[in-house]
Amino acid sequence: MNYSSLENSKFRIPILFKDARDYQIAFLGCFLVLGISTRDWTLKPGLIVATVVSCVLTQWLLSTVVECNRQEDFSFSNYQVFTAPKVLNSLRSALITALGLCLLLRGNSYQTMILAGSFAIASKFLFQFHSKHFFNPANFGIISALILTNDAWLSPGQWGTDWWYLLLFAGLGGIVLKKVGRWATSVTFFITYASLEAIRNFWLGWSWDVWGHQLTSGSLLLFALFMLSDPRSIPNATIGRLFWSIAIAIVTFILQDYFYLSSAIFWALFIISPLTILCDYFWSAPRFMWNKTAIT
Amino acid sequence: MKLIRVLLSRLLIAIAILGFTIQPAQAFCGFYVAKADSDLYNQASQVIIARDGQRTVLTMANDYQGEVKDFALVVPVPVILQAEQVHVNEAKIIKRLDDFSAPRLVEYFDPNPCQLYRIQQDALESSSLPSPQSAQRREFKTDLGVTVEEEFSVGEYDIVILSAKESDGLETWLIQNGYKIPRGAKKLLQPYIKQKLKFFVAKVNLEEYDSQGFNKLRPISMAYESPKFMLPIRLGMMNAQGDQDLIVYLLSPKGQVELTNYRTVKVPSNVDIPEFVEKEFKDFYTTMFQKSYEKENKQVAFLEYAWDMGSCDPCSAQPLNREELKQAGVFWLNSPTPAPGNRVFPRNSNVFITRLHVRYTRDKFPEDLRFQQTGNRQLFQGRYVIRHPYREAITCNAAPKYQQSVKERQEKEAETLANLTGWNINDIRAKIDFVEAKTVPWWRNLWN
Repeated sequence: MNYSSLENSKFRIPILFKDARDYQIAFLGCFLVLGISTRDWTLKPGLIVATVVSCVLTQWLLSTVVECNRQEDFSFSNYQVFTAPKVLNSLRSALITALGLCLLLRGNSYQTMILAGSFAIASKFLFQFHSKHFFNPANFGIISALILTNDAWLSPGQWGTDWWYLLLFAGLGGIVLKKVGRWATSVTFFITYASLEAIRNFWLGWSWDVWGHQLTSGSLLLFALFMLSDPRSIPNATIGRLFWSIAIAIVTFILQDYFYLSSAIFWALFIISPLTILCDYFWSAPRFMWNKTAIT
Repeated sequence: MKLIRVLLSRLLIAIAILGFTIQPAQAFCGFYVAKADSDLYNQASQVIIARDGQRTVLTMANDYQGEVKDFALVVPVPVILQAEQVHVNEAKIIKRLDDFSAPRLVEYFDPNPCQLYRIQQDALESSSLPSPQSAQRREFKTDLGVTVEEEFSVGEYDIVILSAKESDGLETWLIQNGYKIPRGAKKLLQPYIKQKLKFFVAKVNLEEYDSQGFNKLRPISMAYESPKFMLPIRLGMMNAQGDQDLIVYLLSPKGQVELTNYRTVKVPSNVDIPEFVEKEFKDFYTTMFQKSYEKENKQVAFLEYAWDMGSCDPCSAQPLNREELKQAGVFWLNSPTPAPGNRVFPRNSNVFITRLHVRYTRDKFPEDLRFQQTGNRQLFQGRYVIRHPYREAITCNAAPKYQQSVKERQEKEAETLANLTGWNINDIRAKIDFVEAKTVPWWRNLWN
């Protein structure tokens, strides 16, 4: 995690929507409300609360620990560390992860969602290379829950293929992407994946509406626009990101069409995520910081 | 108005009047190929899929309506099946599953508002039409790139498992062997051939059929292992007209099964509707289903039932016993014996049933259905409630208040019904036997 940007901005009164993450939170929150109210979801309010609390709490605790380690003269009597702006500011990211989990992951029990939430956030602190985490936290939480629990599942069909969702996702996603300057990953992924599916579709001899139906899946768009664009865990350099996105699209295609995995995109991202380290090694560029604009 | 709820536990009696519903599913995962020029279209299909891991038992039944001698069926299957993997099932097992999982009408009787209890009786019934099927005819291969991988007879069916290199060859083979292929078949067969699927071709052996005195074609079950958890519906759209219905009963050891490439939506449920619907339940359900289908833009699968097979509440039919579950394809029962349950703590069996009702057309369902098993164990049933007012003489001063509450309730039920079905609200009101209610002055409630 990089907190240096906030060094001089202690006690600044938070201004909403100055941070691009506020947009993400607002959009993901809207999607959640939209999904629950118009799509037939089996999402219990208790589980949403459990996910959000576990994410935020884990982030808060671990950020505090990191912050304590950084302060040489730290003592436990110094309570201020718990409310340090750096610590509080990082809660935004936790909330984004929590909302992402609520949108995508389904479970029967509190334990499952708590596990997903806490593992998601903990992965940011545990799996770091040169102080940069390389797993997308929500994706890590999802895969952990799928592997470690019995009752977690993803519902790739839940968003349906209604055209207006396409527009809504694309429109809102575009704004967010512009805000964080990482739209290229989503677009590269989408173009590669769509091309691969088009080739397969052509080879098989299906009519083109099959292809259209595959690509208008709301879940696919949500994934491409919001999960793949997470600027903190993807490669820093543009070329690295392109390579990385193409790799994810190829693995998704293979897992989905040849191994019949219904949640292929998530497994693909999980498998390819460690490649971020290699990409950064070969193609270096300044790392993304959420608050760059706020400091300068 | 809330009096009724008091008796839920006692007076509840289920009436599942399902004579319809299942409207027998239509359409199918394969297509019929006729030998004669008779009009053939499959109106309804019901499929049972019992699956654990990659092991699958698929049972298909459809209400083929033509002459038995003209029947033949082609279904893409993921692997080459041998004789022992195919079994002719009894139509009654489909009916049992249908009865058990069908949307149900439940009725409650208001007690005498003067004495808070009273017992009533009930009724229970259910029905639905299962499906038959059949086949006739046989031949063998040629060098059209078509290989007859297996050829055997099971019960009244003669079965051939084909693999093909090109759809041209397969089409020619079928034509040479006397099948009338629906137009456009070649184009649709091609993707299945390229995906290395095999073709299961069943015909009826007339001698066997006649000798056994069947009057309906029985369902065919097949057991195989494959990572593909899907139903090919596109072929079936070729010789069906208009919308097609498919009911899929999915049995899993884990939990609910849902579609991964279409939305799975719960059918409207747990609503209070007017008493007269009891006589028109079939009409009510089909109209409501159609309206929901249109509202969802015709591109979703409806969940009609999701339940642990160890219990039901209310039961429209007894849960399937061990033998019946086996017949339905549940093969994992051999391992641990489920603990016996009782009324208070029904046993949690390791069989979970999901009933999906898919109504589809070519333009809204371009892809075959793909499923996935989930850990979702939330229970759901299509349940519609009728509450009968207390119509005897009421000899206490609770009467006006009760009657007024019933009247309000009846009006609300009328609105609900109009909403669900699109029926004219005034027609509905005309059919409701409203209770006589003297208007209670509003101030009486204030000071009394």
